[in-house]
Amino acid sequence: MAKQSPLSTFVKRNRGLVVVIVLLFALLIFGSFISDRFRTTSNILNVFEQSSGLALVSLGQTLAILTGGIDMSVGSMISLLSLLTSGLMNGDPAMILPVTAGIILLGCMIGAINGIGIVMLRIHPLIVTLGMGAVLQGIALLYSLGPAGKAPPGFKFLAYGKVLGLPVSALFVIALFILVALFLRYARLGRYIYAVGDDQAGARLMGLPRSGVIIFVYTVSGFCCALMAIYLVSRFGVGQPYTGVNYTLASITPVVVGGTLLAGGRGGVMGTLFGAYLISLINNVLNFMDVSTHYQLIAQGLIVIAAVSIYVEKRKRI
Amino acid sequence: MLKLSNISKSFPGVRALSGIDLEIRAGEIHALVGENGAGKSTMIKIVAGAYQPDSGDIEYDGARLHNITPASAKKAGIHVIYQEFVLFPHLTVAENIYIGHERRGKLGLVDHRQTRRDAAELLKRLGVEIDPDQLVTDLTVADQQMVEIAKALVHKVKLLILDEPTAVISGREADLLFARLKALRQEGVAIVYVSHRLEEIFQIADRVTVFKDGERVTTADISSVDRNKLISLMVGRDLKDIFPPKRARADTGKVVLKAENVTVNGRVRNASIELRAGEITGLAGMVGAGRTELAMGIFGGLPMSSGTVTIDGQPISHMTPAVAIAKGIGFVTEDRKSQGLAMQLDVAANVTAASLIEITRNGLIDHGAEDAIAHQEIAKYKIACRGPATPVATMSGGNQQKVIVARWARTNPRVLILDEPTRGVDVGAKTEIYKIMNELALQGMAILMISSELPEIIGMSDRVVVMREGVVSGELTGAGINEQAIMSLATQHMAA
Amino acid sequence: MTDATDIKTGGEGRSSGFRHILSNYGIHIFLVLLVAVSGIVSPAFLSANNISNMLLQVAPLGIVVIGQAFVIILRGLDLSVASVMATAAVIATGFSGVNSDMPMIIAISLAIGAGTGLVNGLLVTKRDVSPFLATLATMIMLQGFRFAYTQGAPSGNVPPLFRVVGAETFYGIPYNLMLLAVLAVIFGILLARSRFGREVYITGGNPTTARLLGINADRVIVSGYVISGVLAAIAGLVLSGYVGIVDNWVGRGFELDSIVAAVMGGIALSGGRGTIVGGLIGAAILIVVFNAVLMFGMPVQLQIIIKGLVIVLAAAFYVRRSV
Repeated sequence: MAKQSPLSTFVKRNRGLVVVIVLLFALLIFGSFISDRFRTTSNILNVFEQSSGLALVSLGQTLAILTGGIDMSVGSMISLLSLLTSGLMNGDPAMILPVTAGIILLGCMIGAINGIGIVMLRIHPLIVTLGMGAVLQGIALLYSLGPAGKAPPGFKFLAYGKVLGLPVSALFVIALFILVALFLRYARLGRYIYAVGDDQAGARLMGLPRSGVIIFVYTVSGFCCALMAIYLVSRFGVGQPYTGVNYTLASITPVVVGGTLLAGGRGGVMGTLFGAYLISLINNVLNFMDVSTHYQLIAQGLIVIAAVSIYVEKRKRI
Repeated sequence: MLKLSNISKSFPGVRALSGIDLEIRAGEIHALVGENGAGKSTMIKIVAGAYQPDSGDIEYDGARLHNITPASAKKAGIHVIYQEFVLFPHLTVAENIYIGHERRGKLGLVDHRQTRRDAAELLKRLGVEIDPDQLVTDLTVADQQMVEIAKALVHKVKLLILDEPTAVISGREADLLFARLKALRQEGVAIVYVSHRLEEIFQIADRVTVFKDGERVTTADISSVDRNKLISLMVGRDLKDIFPPKRARADTGKVVLKAENVTVNGRVRNASIELRAGEITGLAGMVGAGRTELAMGIFGGLPMSSGTVTIDGQPISHMTPAVAIAKGIGFVTEDRKSQGLAMQLDVAANVTAASLIEITRNGLIDHGAEDAIAHQEIAKYKIACRGPATPVATMSGGNQQKVIVARWARTNPRVLILDEPTRGVDVGAKTEIYKIMNELALQGMAILMISSELPEIIGMSDRVVVMREGVVSGELTGAGINEQAIMSLATQHMAA
Repeated sequence: MTDATDIKTGGEGRSSGFRHILSNYGIHIFLVLLVAVSGIVSPAFLSANNISNMLLQVAPLGIVVIGQAFVIILRGLDLSVASVMATAAVIATGFSGVNSDMPMIIAISLAIGAGTGLVNGLLVTKRDVSPFLATLATMIMLQGFRFAYTQGAPSGNVPPLFRVVGAETFYGIPYNLMLLAVLAVIFGILLARSRFGREVYITGGNPTTARLLGINADRVIVSGYVISGVLAAIAGLVLSGYVGIVDNWVGRGFELDSIVAAVMGGIALSGGRGTIVGGLIGAAILIVVFNAVLMFGMPVQLQIIIKGLVIVLAAAFYVRRSV
């Protein structure tokens, strides 16, 4: 049997990632022809900074999708947690640490409840997380119908701070993605995420901790939502009851654009990261082309269709 | 090593196991034989923790086991190689072999290089050439089977259960497997070996247990039984009681369907076959020989890359299932659940699915007519169910199969293709299905029966076509139809 | 032997008549109980005024649920319905706001609904895109077209006749409920009694079986999405008449509410099972729950929380039933 070269094997198995990176570079080159301002470092940094939040939410979403599930509660979770963050801190710098820790813990707990619900009730994750999303949105509105509290001074650093001229938040997100990518590749639990997504029943027969894997990925998704909520409060100075509403569906786009299949078992987080950059960059280029945001939505829809059409593996039809 | 006492298990509509007692010793190869649906697979799944028994005790390694789960069975050193593989298609060969027993290096992280090296070593020791970096989905079925076997050798196994491991391999690979099993027996591993192939059992087993209709018939030393004895124990009656007497062979039956030089996407090459009115043609061969694909190609269910199909001398240019049905071909598929039935729907809807026109009045479905037809077919084929509104999902395999046969017989086809018509069907229903097939043939239908069960092929066919590796390797008629002849056509060259 | 076992199960089936009723009519009973209890707790709940109000609200959701039922029975999901509704509503205000615009408005809206359904169906069948993503993508795109068309702020008036159909009643019976009834009968018969309907169930129950039976499964699936799109457009027009003024988000939340109603009504996400009547009862339960929350003087936010819990509980109920 002819052994394929490692490079061609890599390309074949990481089609999504490769396609997205190629497109990213193509777009960078295209953009620099359109406008001189596009080429500026500050613009590019801006794009990366803008995409960080979405990428963060999509990170947890990627893991859920890798197991063949989906997390439809992320938007409401972000809204509720951001409200609680600014509401509880209420401008008091002394509260930054305890509240941040508490919110992260709460996010993980909500995620874990999603996972436990999916495992125990044996219902499709879509339904469980949809239900959870509604419950969380209701609680958020019970807590406050409008913006609540405010971020303490100094809290802005998370969203706007820079290290060596680079945005802290963007660097943090990149680091987190690399960490998760390494985890998926080198930790047993990481490999099991792929196994569970590839064949749920098989994972059970092989004695793999299927329930644990599912609870874990939704916990991670909750963790990412908590970070996002904290980031948004840092950025806007206050939490709002609908601040996360668009992220539920938006978080799925970078995942599919990055080549992770909704069916589970195939894909990876780096594709998602670059997918988020790509989407952000496309909007940026369209801005420079003076295309209104309305048409940017259309472009986003087309990207999703293009992505899913490219990556889909034809099922065998008898 | 393993002791089962009084194990019983029922599924909706069928009692799979009743009061099974069985003892497996360390250091023996214990063969399990029985017809399809005799309960072997259910018993294996209970030992592996995939099913919970309704009642009974399991003693293993001197201790009683309660609520076995696949994970706890694994931990206890029980490894099962299932007939339907448990492989993760998009993980590599090496990862599949070591899943659950990852090679780990520093910090407990998975060491991919070590995994790959060890897997390569293991596969080499097994004597097969498989690239450990390949994805399992890209392997042939035979190679996938070898990966399954390699998985069993990774860790200390005390009880190894193999369910039909040679269904997709033969010759050299089977010999490699047997050598490995004998070595494991030497090491004191208890091995349960399920197979249809009696010659294998005489080749490697120490003891044999016969299952029939969910019950254990007997356990015996292999030296104390012979082939014929085993068959009669398995079947529980003489062959002639199961298979209806052969009809007077209709030599004059004219050719209804002729398929020439059919090629189906790498699975079938230049295969030709003729079906005659009033004749049952058996299509034999190993699993993966391309039998189903050939039949699907003829039916239009899979695209033919080349070849022609003529019905009554009239060539069909583009075959699709719709055209095939219009031309009078019916297809009872191999897998009832995934291809044959809409499991959520009731008996009536499934029976009438191929003849909706018959129950359509003024463009609307006439539920009265539908029920009448369903009642009629239920009586005709003795389908055991609560009535036309019974969801087929709650019925036993044999009755589900009768629903599908009734569906197609209702359309009064010229040609009826049956793919493994008695798989997962108990003996009683089996005999009835054979009778139905015979009656249909007597009415002048041309029947093509795909089967992996040699007694079935031999007992039912007027003519046997054998396939091997995608090509038709020979055709047998009359007295020429016997086990040796079929096996040699099915496997020749493969040993090379 | 098989006969004996099966006859035995048959006997068990007959003896557990209560369970049979519960599993087949549980959702009907639940609706009746819900209405009864609400009426006892809050007499205002059963006032003619409030009942008329609830009936007015049921129509737009009910119409969407009918379409969603076809898609879900076909193993799909239609997330684009709310976007279609909002677009139809925007079209309704896109002209001069007089009755003579109506044929034009209806024609354009239905065409958009049918077109969206067609794209959804083709993506799902020809490109093997998962229904979730296909309808998500068309939802986003339609949203983009709508924003581009309105430049972010729709204005204009709904023709008066739409107002009548959407918000007025005839001796206490809303016109829009009558429309729902007519559509329910038409599509109910289509699903339960026509050959096409039977093909829908077979295709949803097992697409492979359907193909091997010579059913053009792709065409059946595409038709299902087109039906869903067209009905969503009708629902959008009705809703525009109900609310009178239109923004870009008319119908927001209907995609999830319609799926929830369908699931509650016994239409399984795994396909092949469920009825129009079931879906409509699911829709009615949602409306009653929302209304009851208000009538009991509980905060509006509880509506959403209860909805979330009901989704999960209903799904859990049906999972238990089918195992």
